[in-house]
Formats: sequence, C-alpha cells, structure tokens
Amino acid sequence: MDLFLQRVVDAITNGSTYALIAVAMVLIFKATTLINFAQGEQAMLGAFAVLQLWNWGIPMWGAVIIGMLFSGILAAGLERAFIRKFDPADHLPLVIITLGLFLVINAVAAIIWRFDPQSFPQLFPSGNAFTYNNVRLSWYSIFAFGSCVLVLFVLQTLLTRTKIGLAFRAVSSNLESSRLSGIKIGPTLQFGWALAAAAGTLGASIYAANPVLQIEPSMMLRALIFSVTAAALGGLDSLWGALIGGLTIGFVQSVVVQYIPFIPNEMSLSAAVVVLLIVLTLRPSGVLGTRAVERV
Amino acid sequence: MTSPILHVEDLKATYGPVQVLHGIDFTVFPKEIVVVLGANGAGKTTTLRSISGMIQTSGRIELNGEETRNLTPSEIVRRGVAHVPQGRGTFPELTVEENLKVGAFIRTDKDIKIDIDTCYENYPVLYERKTQMAGSLSGGEQQMLAVSRALMSRPQLLLMDEPSLGLAPQIVEDLFTRFVAINREQETTMLIVEQNAQLALDIANRGYVLESGRISVEGKAEELINDDAIRRAYLGA
Amino acid sequence: MASKIQISNGTRTYRNSRIVMWACFVISLLLIAFAYVDVGTISIGSNNYNLSLIRLNKAIAYTIAILGLQVVIGYTGQIALGQSFFFGTGAYISAWLIADHSWPFLVTLLIVIPSCFIIGMVLGLPALRIRGLYLALLTFGLAAVFPSIVKLDKLYTYTGGAGGKLTSNYKFIAPAWLPFDEVAQALQKLPILGGFFGDGPLSNREESRLWKFILFCVIAGICFWLVYNLIHSRPGRAMRAIRDNETSAAVSGINLAITKTLSFGVASALGGVGGAIYVAEVGIASPDDFSSLVAIYLIVGLVVGGVGTLPGAVLGGLIYALVPDWASSTQSISFVPQRWLQGPTGSLILGLLLIILTLFLPGGMVTGWRKLKNRLKPTEVRAS
Repeated sequence: MDLFLQRVVDAITNGSTYALIAVAMVLIFKATTLINFAQGEQAMLGAFAVLQLWNWGIPMWGAVIIGMLFSGILAAGLERAFIRKFDPADHLPLVIITLGLFLVINAVAAIIWRFDPQSFPQLFPSGNAFTYNNVRLSWYSIFAFGSCVLVLFVLQTLLTRTKIGLAFRAVSSNLESSRLSGIKIGPTLQFGWALAAAAGTLGASIYAANPVLQIEPSMMLRALIFSVTAAALGGLDSLWGALIGGLTIGFVQSVVVQYIPFIPNEMSLSAAVVVLLIVLTLRPSGVLGTRAVERV
Repeated sequence: MTSPILHVEDLKATYGPVQVLHGIDFTVFPKEIVVVLGANGAGKTTTLRSISGMIQTSGRIELNGEETRNLTPSEIVRRGVAHVPQGRGTFPELTVEENLKVGAFIRTDKDIKIDIDTCYENYPVLYERKTQMAGSLSGGEQQMLAVSRALMSRPQLLLMDEPSLGLAPQIVEDLFTRFVAINREQETTMLIVEQNAQLALDIANRGYVLESGRISVEGKAEELINDDAIRRAYLGA
Repeated sequence: MASKIQISNGTRTYRNSRIVMWACFVISLLLIAFAYVDVGTISIGSNNYNLSLIRLNKAIAYTIAILGLQVVIGYTGQIALGQSFFFGTGAYISAWLIADHSWPFLVTLLIVIPSCFIIGMVLGLPALRIRGLYLALLTFGLAAVFPSIVKLDKLYTYTGGAGGKLTSNYKFIAPAWLPFDEVAQALQKLPILGGFFGDGPLSNREESRLWKFILFCVIAGICFWLVYNLIHSRPGRAMRAIRDNETSAAVSGINLAITKTLSFGVASALGGVGGAIYVAEVGIASPDDFSSLVAIYLIVGLVVGGVGTLPGAVLGGLIYALVPDWASSTQSISFVPQRWLQGPTGSLILGLLLIILTLFLPGGMVTGWRKLKNRLKPTEVRAS
C-alpha cells in the first residue's frame, strides 16, 4: 500500500512537469492546429538559459523569469521567421519546419553546453514535507504540482480576462472573422508562441530541478513523448485537459507499468505511446477536446 | 450631392488563374442601403472580400475618398468597415458576450458596455443566451450575432455577405426588417450582396446586378424591382 | 531555328538514348566503386573527408528507407515519421537471422521484406482513423520507442540488448566469376586517370567491399524499379489521389483502407530492406542506431532530395550518409570557433537544410534542379 501511495505521489510529480510542456503544445495547437515538435527543445533551451543566468550569479527565480522571457521572445521570432508564411491547413511543411527547429535547437544547445549532464539549481526547498510510514511527499512534488496548477490558472485568466487573450481565442475559433474584426493575426499568434515557450521553459526548469535529474540537451526527448501523449489525452485544445492528461500519463508511467507484470519496467515510454495510440484511435478529439467537423 | 463613402473603380480580382472580377465600378453613399445581386459565382463574395482587404486586387477602392486597396484587413476595419462573412461569421467556441467583445476589439472607449446592451435590445434572444457558446445557437441566432458582432466596431459601412443564406424565410424577413431599423437608428451604411433579390430590393435604396464579374444593370431599387430582365432572372416572374 | 535536337518520347532514338544514359550511369557507378574501394579521402584545407565505399553503402541503405518515405509521404500524403522503426526492425531481423541462424544476407531479405510489410500494414491500420498531425505524432512516438523495445530483457536473446547484435560472422565473398581484379588492373593502366584507381591487385577485403557495393546497388535498383512501377500503376494513382484530396479520392471509389495500408506496407518493407543493408554494412545492429533522431534524419533526406521525387531519395541518402560524417571530421575552419566544430554540427547543418529548403525550395533539390534546367533551356520548337 505504501509503495502504491509512493508511486501515486511520483505520478503526480512527473505528471505535473509533463503537463506544463503539454500546455505549451496545447496553446500552439489551439491557435494554429499545429503540433510543434520543437516544443520540448525550445523548453530545454530555455532551461539552459536559466542555468546560464544562474551561473552568472542572477538569483534563481530571477533567472527563471528572465529565461521565460528569453524563450518567449525567441519563440515569437521563430513564429515570425519560419511559421507564419505557411498555410496552417497544409501540415507537412509545418511538421518539417518544426522538426528542423528540433534538430537545430538541440544541436545549438549541445554545442554551447555540451552533452554532459549538469546539475540544475534547486528551485524548491529540498527534503520531505510529509512522511507517512514509508511514503515520502517531497517539497519538490508539492511545488511541482502547485506551479503547474498556478500556471494553468494564470493562463486561464490571461486567456479569458484580457483583451489579447480574447483575441487569441477568437483567432483559434475563426480566423476569417478575426481578421474582419480588426485583430492582427500575426502578432496574436506570436503572442501564443511566446506564451507557450514561456510555459514550456518553466516546465523544463521544474523538470530539471527534480533532485534526481540533471539537465542535458537530450533530456526532453523522452519528456516530449510523454507530454505529447498528455496533450493528446486532453484533446490538444484544452488547458485543463493537458493537466489531466499529464497526470494520467504520470500515473501510467509510475503506477500502471509497475503493477502489470508482463510490462517490463523500461517500457513506460512504450506504454505512453500505446496510450496515445488508443486515445487517437478511439477518440481522436481526446478526452476533453472539442470535436472538429471536417469540411471538404 | 454628398461625397460617397465607398467608391470602387475598375476593380479586378483573380483567384489563381481564374479572373473573377473583370473591372467593376460602383458607389455607395452615406446612410444608403445598397444591394449587389448576382447568381452563384458572379463575384459577389469576391467584391466584398476585396473591399475589406482580404484579397489582392487591382483597380481603385476609395473609402471616404482615400485609397484603401493596399491596406490590411485590420487597418480597413479601423477605418470603419465591418464585414459579416458568408455563413460562419461567429466564433463558435466563444460565448455570445465574448463574440460581441471581439467585435469591439479595435475600440478603446468606455461605451462598449452600452453598445453591447444596444445589441441585446435589438436582439433580446442574444441576451438570453449571452453566456452560451456561439456554436450552440441556431442558424438565425448566429446570423443575428454575426451582424451584432460587426456593429460592435461602430462601422460607417457594414458589408454583408448573403445574410439570408440557409435561413428560414420568416427569420430572414425579421433579420432584414432589423437591418432597416439599424440603418435608420445608427445611420449605418450597408452594402449587402444577396441572391434573394425580392427581399433585398425591398429594403435597399439602390442596387447593382453582377453577372460573371461585370456589373450588368444598376439603378434605384424600385426601378430594379420593375425591370423585366431582373424579374425574369431573379424574381422568378 | 533551334539547333538543339529535341528527342520526343516513344521513338526508337528516344529509347536508345535512354539506354545509353542508363549505361553511362551504371558505368560511372562502377568507376566510383573501383576508385573508392580503397579508403578514399578528399582533402579540403587541413580537413580530410572520407568517401569510402562504407559511406556509400550506408547511403544506399538510407536511400532505400527514404524511398519508402517517398511512397508513404511523397505519394500518399500520410505524414508518417516513424521510418526508423522499420529501418530498425529490418536491421534486427536480418541481424538475428545472420548471427543466430547463419543465414546468408540475401536470404534474410526473404524474411525481412514480408515481415516488415506486414508489421507496417498492421501499424498502419490506426492511420485509417488517425490523420494528419495526429498520425505524425503517433509515428514519431513509434520511432521514439524502438530503442527501448530492442533493449528489453525478454528480447535479449534475439536482439542482444543494449550491446546490440553482431553480424560479423557473415562475410560477403565476391563470386569467383566476377573479374574484379582484371578490371582493376585495366583501370590502373589507364593514362592520366589510372592513378585514381589505387595500386596492384585488390585485397580480399576490397573485393568483398566492392561486391557488397554492387550487390546493394542492384538491390536499390530493383527497389526503385518496383516503386517506379507501383506509382505508375493503378494503386499508385490511387495513392496520389489520396494525397491530393482524400475526400474526393474516397468519393471517386478509391478504397482508402486498402490503398493506405498498402502504402504503409510498401514503405515499411523498403525501410526494412534499408535496415538490413545498413546492418550488413556496419556489422552490428545496435539500439541507438535506430533512435527517433534517425527518423528525423530520414525526413531530412526526404525533404532535401524533394518530397515526391524518386531521384530525390538518392540525393537524400547521400546527404544523410555524408553530411554528419563530414561535419564531424571537419577539424578546423577559419572564423569558426573550435568549440562549434566539436559539437553536433552535422545535426545543425541537417536541421538548417531542412528549414531553409522548406522555406525557399519546397520541392527539394531535385525539383530545384529541374526548374533551373528548364529555365536554362532555350524555348524551342518541339519536334512532333
């Protein structure tokens, strides 16, 4: 029982970080129906920027905020330079561009920071907040989950209570009428990209701040798959769906896989892909997503 | 004579290799309701999309005497043109009230709330449904919302693309009656493209007939209603 | 007025000119083989770039895998990113048969092709429901899990776990009737050019390398011929119809399910053949040679050559095989800091290529070349 509870705790911890990257993908998908394969790498680059700033002596959370701004601005630039000129309905070029960004960002990070894992500043108090028999709930877990929920609230508020948020949702709902209402589409989508990248950077920073993990350029390769699955579970266009998806994937990874004897331990990634397959086959619009009507 | 609010001269537009508009000229004066009649594929939608800057064109489009042909849609909206596109003029995933707020996107004044209330007075059904998603409204309600959304930018000129499309006759009649009221009360100039000639000419001051990308007939609405050619082609008489 | 002769399609002269063209192509391939059978390098500045047959053989393996992507992405329009999965599957099946059952390489293909075909069709089944970006996601996930599947403890006896499966027990021995030595000697005696072809008789290793290259070229040739015929046949037209507009294809009576699964099957089989050749060349199937990065590189190969062009696959294969390798063997370039050269510059270059080509030359290099050729060609009266 204790073991089970411990694993549930782990599930929530991992799930929260996946959810943050998933949220980033959801933001971009909502606006442009595009899946950004470079999202994880952008987040990784942002986390490295945070590490660099911290190494230069900037206070930890200051570094995180500057890192988020940095990746937000970078993402806005990427959107302008590489994404805007393509027709959002034509998926292949956009997939290819984001795969290209994936390679480039990964390579640049590896060139600047090398492949050696480095330790990341502890963003949250270390140690356990709570111990019950053998179940340990670390401060890290609490803060990781807390930040995830906080970020979702902030995003939710931003999207429903501000003018740019309203514009963003209008653009994702009806592009033509948005233009006819005087919304400048380009900057609005740029805003979405920036927001997504900032959320992703926070996610990657929290992920790397996990006491058992270190930061390295390929750290997001696995996390990307988990996050994508989380986003798909939530329907790719629902913010809270991303959290639920993230927690589900965390749960599958640390609970389900552990308790099903014929699934070996190292199969958590495969389990995630299987979940993705099932979700996409049975309910392509996800669990919380809106069903799209295909027009000819 | 007052100066025109919209003056279009030798407007040409192409979609890929196909030329849709072959140089059309027309004028809309302030406070008028002008209707452009035409069959499917005559170029009605293209005409409106040209005016609101959604497509590349050649020729002249003057708004209050200023050339607007090379402006972006968002700049044109800011010069007082609102456009209700064909079919889907609403934001299905936004609530009714949010739809209206998007309509007022270009405005920064304090009267937005008042105008939203005006919309609700015009169409009480929208007030009843103000927290519902626009996508859940009926076709007629969506069209009311689309028109209200467009009016929220306080346009001088309202472009409407086949507002009657796909709606029941009774609803269309109500809708058009309200157009007249809005035209009188808010002094909004309207340019309506329609296939439903009878209804449109009933409320219009003047009309143009667009055939295969050219203006074939123009005149006062009363004259057009009695024009034999038009009667044959559009009124089924 | 035009002095240039335009030979029109279908005439005898046309056919003869095609035969001459292909003969020239085959001869130049052979010349390349003989020239680079020894480790050949090109020196630019202080950097040496390897151009041995090992690289070219790898390029053939990638080319065939990219050919598979041409079928599924280029001609059927399904964004399937997981080619590395099938590349790996083919590689491991072949490696297992060679290492544990001492099968000859060519015979393993008899198992690799049908099994990859079937696996591809089965994994392609969800694609009947999953489309566009969702399919891209799923297939990318597939590519990502491949290394962890072959590392499974339960599969250790088949896959060799993290260490990989060695196939070095199998040697490619050139059949005695092939006059490699004689040709090599003759080429070496050529005036001026003789120097390019090394010295003395070929060693056994060189002969086997040469034999492999020729063998792989023949396999690749067959694959190209089959794919060419496929895309010009009825199912091929159905595939292109689906690519251009799925709904219209369906309403014109094309069976989406059969056509799509066929396309997935063919693509996977080609991926498998590529993988088998890859393993035959490097002598080991190891998990990390089939990571999701490989899947992306294969997409680079597809895009660089040109999506939907068959010769593009060759160019793509060459670029994939040569660019990362050459990038890492570049030790110094003036103005570029050493640190940059030591990093994964190959990956950087491929990524940039992917972005730049998609932005500026969406048809890829082959299409770009064709356009250029058409522009340079003076407009002339066509002989009828």
